[in-house]
Amino acid sequence: MIHSSQGGTSLLEVDGLSVDYGLKGVSSRAIDSVSFALRAGEAVGLVGESGSGKTTTAMAIAGLLSPNARVSGGQVRYRGNRLPIDDDAAMRPHRWSETSVVFQGAMNALNPVHRIIKQIAEPCMLKLGMSRGEATARARELLEFVGIPTDRGSAYPHELSGGMRQRVMIAMALACRPSIIIGDEPTTALDVITQAQILKLLGELRSQLNLALILITHDLSVVAESCDRVMIMYAGRIVEDGSVAEIFAQPKHPYTRLLIESIPNPASGKKMIRPIPGDPPNLVNRPLGCAFHPRCPSAMAVCATEVPSLDKLGRGRVACHLHRSSQDKVAVHA
Amino acid sequence: MPDTADILRLESLQVHFPIQGGLFDRVLGRPAGAVRAVDGIDLNIGRGEIVALVGESGSGKTTVGRVITKLAQPTGGKLLFEGRDMTAERGSSALRPYRHRVQMIFQDAYQALNPRHTVFDIVAEPLRSLRLVKNNAQLTERVSEALAAAGLNPPDDFFARFPHELSGGQRQRVVIAGALAVRPELIVADEPVSMLDVSIRAQILQVLVDLRAKHSMALLFITHDLPLAWLIADRIAVLYLGKLVEIGTADEITFNPCHPYTVALRNATPQVGANAGRAELPALQGEVPSAARVPKGCRFHPRCPLAFDRCRQEEPPAIEVGPQHLSACWLAK
Amino acid sequence: MSESTVRYSPRGRARAIKGFLRQFLSYGSAQVGLVCLVFFLVVAAVPNILVGPLQTAINATGDFLVPPSGQHLLGTDEVGRDVLNLVVHGARISLMIALLSTVISLVVGTTIGMTAGYYGGRVDVWLMRLTDFFFVMPSFVLALVITPVVLEVMGRGGEILGFRPSLFVILVVIGMTSWAFVARIVRSQTLSLKERTFIDRARVVGSSNFNIMVRHILPNLVPQIAANGALVVAGAIYVETSLSFLGLGDPLQPSWGTLLSLAQRAGAASAGAWWYLGAPGVCVLTVSLSFVLIGNALDDTFNPRRRVIP
Repeated sequence: MIHSSQGGTSLLEVDGLSVDYGLKGVSSRAIDSVSFALRAGEAVGLVGESGSGKTTTAMAIAGLLSPNARVSGGQVRYRGNRLPIDDDAAMRPHRWSETSVVFQGAMNALNPVHRIIKQIAEPCMLKLGMSRGEATARARELLEFVGIPTDRGSAYPHELSGGMRQRVMIAMALACRPSIIIGDEPTTALDVITQAQILKLLGELRSQLNLALILITHDLSVVAESCDRVMIMYAGRIVEDGSVAEIFAQPKHPYTRLLIESIPNPASGKKMIRPIPGDPPNLVNRPLGCAFHPRCPSAMAVCATEVPSLDKLGRGRVACHLHRSSQDKVAVHA
Repeated sequence: MPDTADILRLESLQVHFPIQGGLFDRVLGRPAGAVRAVDGIDLNIGRGEIVALVGESGSGKTTVGRVITKLAQPTGGKLLFEGRDMTAERGSSALRPYRHRVQMIFQDAYQALNPRHTVFDIVAEPLRSLRLVKNNAQLTERVSEALAAAGLNPPDDFFARFPHELSGGQRQRVVIAGALAVRPELIVADEPVSMLDVSIRAQILQVLVDLRAKHSMALLFITHDLPLAWLIADRIAVLYLGKLVEIGTADEITFNPCHPYTVALRNATPQVGANAGRAELPALQGEVPSAARVPKGCRFHPRCPLAFDRCRQEEPPAIEVGPQHLSACWLAK
Repeated sequence: MSESTVRYSPRGRARAIKGFLRQFLSYGSAQVGLVCLVFFLVVAAVPNILVGPLQTAINATGDFLVPPSGQHLLGTDEVGRDVLNLVVHGARISLMIALLSTVISLVVGTTIGMTAGYYGGRVDVWLMRLTDFFFVMPSFVLALVITPVVLEVMGRGGEILGFRPSLFVILVVIGMTSWAFVARIVRSQTLSLKERTFIDRARVVGSSNFNIMVRHILPNLVPQIAANGALVVAGAIYVETSLSFLGLGDPLQPSWGTLLSLAQRAGAASAGAWWYLGAPGVCVLTVSLSFVLIGNALDDTFNPRRRVIP
């Protein structure tokens, strides 16, 4: 899969997006100049640790930033039109009908006192202007679509298992026929077998409806099985972007490589624990230069002073001084 | 298996939680049911051995850990520590010698640390309450030693800090230091890395593995993650709905699983890179039933793609399928 | 770093206290409440320096019911005593009764609530039934029943633990009727604390039940106890005032409530002697209001979820 930062076929383009959080008068950057493009029907994994900015990126795209967040630069374009991502009211027509979100905690996102069929029918009535009867019929169809027997529609959220609730969330996200679904750690709270079922469902829906999927997760192995492309984030920046096959076979950024090596992999046959030293940086005191340099085994002098830009390398992109062409390195030293 | 080598043995351990019936049921004398969280488990842990207990939520794996650390009282079966029956022991003073040798590490380090205590007080607590030190100098020495062993260096830098001033990885190290301070012989680790950032997990695993290497400490590693269990453990025990379905060496369970549930678990686990032999069984349908309504016969049969008549009637015993490898399935041989 | 500083980590604790004070003092209501409270505490601490010894009918310095003037800033009462003098001395009695009865109520309420919540089961059922009994008991009825008995046994002149009998009765009655409120709050908080993992950890590392309650649960209850304690004081001042107003107070050690009662009996309202009723009345109102303000500010400080996001 070729990444598609140029070309008119992109469905969504994120261009130099930066978001700051203000807390007690101190402003800290959550994401810094994030750029990528998403094509229709493409599944992209956004992988990072806590504080890497993966959730902020996704929430910015959906226009769901918290009140103390501020878009300090860049823009998001959907089918070529700039989205008013920092204006909640202006985003409303776009959200759910073009971009939907499936959240992690399905129990919190569902209203405990309403039957699930009603909760699925509601957005159909509000957004698509359906009558109650039409909306209920549509909700039934959606339930069947996500693999819930339609007679379970009269259940309340607490009567369903975690996996079933996550299916309801997916049905709600699909209600207004969006073209992009953002999954914010949609399977993190689920058991392994249920997780596999939900990931399979998302994959099926994607091919049937030509949905684009942005899967936010901390788990590289989930991405390995369910996405075409993966973007690795660290300390608010994308550090590597490429196809799943390429990144797992030949990671370019040292962080990506260490991350992949740290996943226990019986298939490799090697029982080795390979710790990455140090702690992930927090929002407030981020290292100068490349944010990963204090933990990086191949750090050079330049890494401590200069932020590496996210440059094209082969068919993907990587932000690392190790992979800059030799002229660039000379230029840096001069 | 030789008795003397085992530090801990569970013999048909059972934990049933009664379900409080409504007033109506009680008046009519209807029997209230029970949640069969743990329903007859036999397990042994050798000295210095790492055993992984793998299961989904609701499998009873956490309850097993709580029984071993005497946080939950079994309703049946036995808990033997070095051959001594500890099942009925209760009360903080009676359990002092046991607590000295069996400690626990928790999943959520943030929750496991009292927000109002400093790191020093947290790590010193077991030494004080188990009366293992004579004076303050000794106390400080033991706390420093434990913090250093858990990878918090230099230890004095952490003495006066509060849990909220630490990173997630450091908090888990403090929990580990607290368990290490008493120099136990068995540690129960309940999902010790599942709440941590991916890049931190290996650091914590390294600390645990080093402990075994240096002090030949035994470890019961409770997890839902089969590859992780393979990485750290000598043996793996797979739990389904309160019962062990399969137990064997880590390599046997990972590469040669016999029980259909273990196979399903392995197939469902997302993997980096090619995963050979994925399509042996169709993916499982449905979800784990409630432990209050355990199916008759083999408890896995309603979801098992290979189930036949006998599975619906009779519960299979643990059948030996290889050296140290047991599987509770009628198809095992 | 010496041994003891390491163990009790004054740096960390001092930092925590500093942060707490900064947050607490950022509330306007806390500032107003604290200023009022400090003013009344100073007044109650040194009444003799401020206004001289307590005046009685014998050493009264003025005429009967004189309105406020330069000589008597708050006028005089029906026997010629200076009202300012009486109110300042009353502050001492009122505040002492309120604070002491609050201490009783907090100690009893916390002990019972924490024990019930921690042990649960039968202990919980019986302790909470006891709590409910005291919860519904009206303080006035209790005071009316106990006072004559105590006075009969002790005589008006005797002393119990250094208190004159009528003050002692008021103290005990307020303590007995207000602890149930504290016990309920402490119990529900203990129930949720008990489920926290750090209690499990404490058990695994060998702490006894007593140690778990004192070292793990109690420190985490402090916010609730402090915030509600301030409200209990406010309530105690009202109850003390009402009990004294009904004549259960001690005329020789007049509290604000006793003064109100005396003023009412002297016909201050019909005689137009507003200063006589007004002075103790305003004091009661101000002090209890300042405790309520402090209590609410404490609650907001300790409970970040209730904090308004700026």
